[in-house]
Amino acid sequence: MEQLNPFFNLKNFSFKALILIMALVPAFIIASVVTFLLYYSFPSIIYNGLNFFTSKIWNDGSSGVILHNNGISYQSGAVYGIYPLVLGTVLISLIALLIAFPVSFFVTLNVELYMPKKIRGTLISFIELFAGIPSVVYGFWGLLVLIPWLQNTVEPWIGTHFSGIPLIGGVFTSEISGRAYYPGQGLLAGALILSIMIIPIITAVMTNSFETAPKEIKDGIYSLGGTRWEMGKYLLVHHSKAATYGGALLGLGRALGETMAVLMVTSALLLVPSNLFSNVSTVAAYIAAQLDSAFFDQSGMTTAAFAEAALALMGVSLLVNVIGRKIAGRGVLRGYQND
Amino acid sequence: MTEGETVTVKWRKASIRSAKDTAVRIVGYIILFILFAVLAAIFYEIADGALSNITWQILTTSNTFEGTTGGGIYEAIAGTWMLVGTGLLFSVPPGILGSLYVVRAKSSKTLSSLVRLFTDILTSVPSIVIGLFGYLFMVYYLGWGFSLIAGGIALAIMMLPYIFRVAELSMKAIPVEQIHNAYALGADDFQVATRIYIPQALSGVLSGIMLAISIAAGETAQLLYTAGWNAGGLPSGFTNNNLGVGYLTYIVYNGLLQGSAIPNATNLAYIAAFVLIVTILVLVLLSKSMNRIVKKLSQIMRGTR
Repeated sequence: MEQLNPFFNLKNFSFKALILIMALVPAFIIASVVTFLLYYSFPSIIYNGLNFFTSKIWNDGSSGVILHNNGISYQSGAVYGIYPLVLGTVLISLIALLIAFPVSFFVTLNVELYMPKKIRGTLISFIELFAGIPSVVYGFWGLLVLIPWLQNTVEPWIGTHFSGIPLIGGVFTSEISGRAYYPGQGLLAGALILSIMIIPIITAVMTNSFETAPKEIKDGIYSLGGTRWEMGKYLLVHHSKAATYGGALLGLGRALGETMAVLMVTSALLLVPSNLFSNVSTVAAYIAAQLDSAFFDQSGMTTAAFAEAALALMGVSLLVNVIGRKIAGRGVLRGYQND
Repeated sequence: MTEGETVTVKWRKASIRSAKDTAVRIVGYIILFILFAVLAAIFYEIADGALSNITWQILTTSNTFEGTTGGGIYEAIAGTWMLVGTGLLFSVPPGILGSLYVVRAKSSKTLSSLVRLFTDILTSVPSIVIGLFGYLFMVYYLGWGFSLIAGGIALAIMMLPYIFRVAELSMKAIPVEQIHNAYALGADDFQVATRIYIPQALSGVLSGIMLAISIAAGETAQLLYTAGWNAGGLPSGFTNNNLGVGYLTYIVYNGLLQGSAIPNATNLAYIAAFVLIVTILVLVLLSKSMNRIVKKLSQIMRGTR
């Protein structure tokens, strides 16, 4: 299919050059985001070292007292550690996945096995509605409904009946003296909101994969007298193992980077959580909450530290998502099915 | 179950097996019910809070969270569309032209798969990272200030992969023979793109754009530090728009934080959330039925109806 025009085709040549350049735009964006964040966070990487991930203290230092050392400026006494945020991010995301995964599994299985074909499509598009709701609306609903419920019903109930059990019960007070405990705005609130947000992603990946199960084996199982559940257990679950893990990873990836919903239902505090109701924050939410105050630091070190945190978050999120996508296939976009 | 694999199944008593089946079915129904109850609760809460207060005046009044009445959400609605429009300006060309590169038969396969990988990666960049990048790079480093263009580009980064992916999928669905025939008749890449790929994949391309708009309209984290916030007027240019640009999600985010000092703040948040959800639902529905719409429109235009 070589071009038959013997003369140089300028229009076609410039068109080919244009689509090539446009195809490189995504790579260019990623490269420039990474390069710029690396450049910007460089002082923080030098200044904080590995301490950045292990320290529990985030302190901008004394305002206005700027020290210079080896070409790096920082405020006197500044310490930057995101250990509580990393722990909060991982815990919130994992608990969210722990809730969302079985829910998605049973929902998909139920829709696939027991629902008549006519209802199936409608049900799946209803679940897709979840994917369309903006995260800020989830956060808003969390503040209006979920937090008061946790605060007024769940926490007192746990407090009276399960107070002795570690990780669940315990004292609903602040772990740090002098700081108030914000009832309801804890690990569980964030995880619950996130779990609602990632259910459509996992469900979409699973549904996609369940539908590709070989029909012959399906019919074979039924003709041997298998029940629907046995068909699901022996065929669908087996067949979709990879997609199931991939879907879970994609859900986790979304949860790790989610900002607004978590920001609204948790308190932006740097605390190491001790139980399910502890006030926590995540890397993304903390950046969103504190970035504007970082500019009071004239040395720029606080902003650099935020850039480093963002870079780390981006790295982890990309890794989880790319692996998830490799396993799950590319058929699903943000909980919407594509075909 | 992969090919050649055997699974040993021990059949237990029929009654136990059917009881298990029923148990799984019931657990599934209960979980489904809870899920839809939550969905209904979210919609009900927003609709109930919004519909009891929504008036035409609130939708067309300026100065959100200001004055004695708390103002309206006019700037936010218009600002959201201006930001999304700017985002489209920067995401549609690379989205469509990039997918044309990827589906072109003569393109490098390695490069095409790399392009796909990078667009996939782009969907998984956390929104706050894009926001932080926009803040440090566009707002400060380039000196654009809180502006329409900074917010628009931040949105475009998020919209591009959706436009690209859906366009690519629908272009791939075009029969290969048709494209081969066009090349065999002497058409060049430009002609194949403009006469075959784009017209045939039009509904897919449009539905990807609708999907991208619906996602961009609901974004907040990118905009907080790039578009800033301004309810005192609409931006007159692309850069340095005074305090920034207003957008609906900001009202939803900030409504409950305003406290009782601002009358109506909570109501405005309800209304903004309601307007957002309705807008997004309409866009998602449009995106899903784009295929049918385009078919109808082309029939009408050709006069074959």
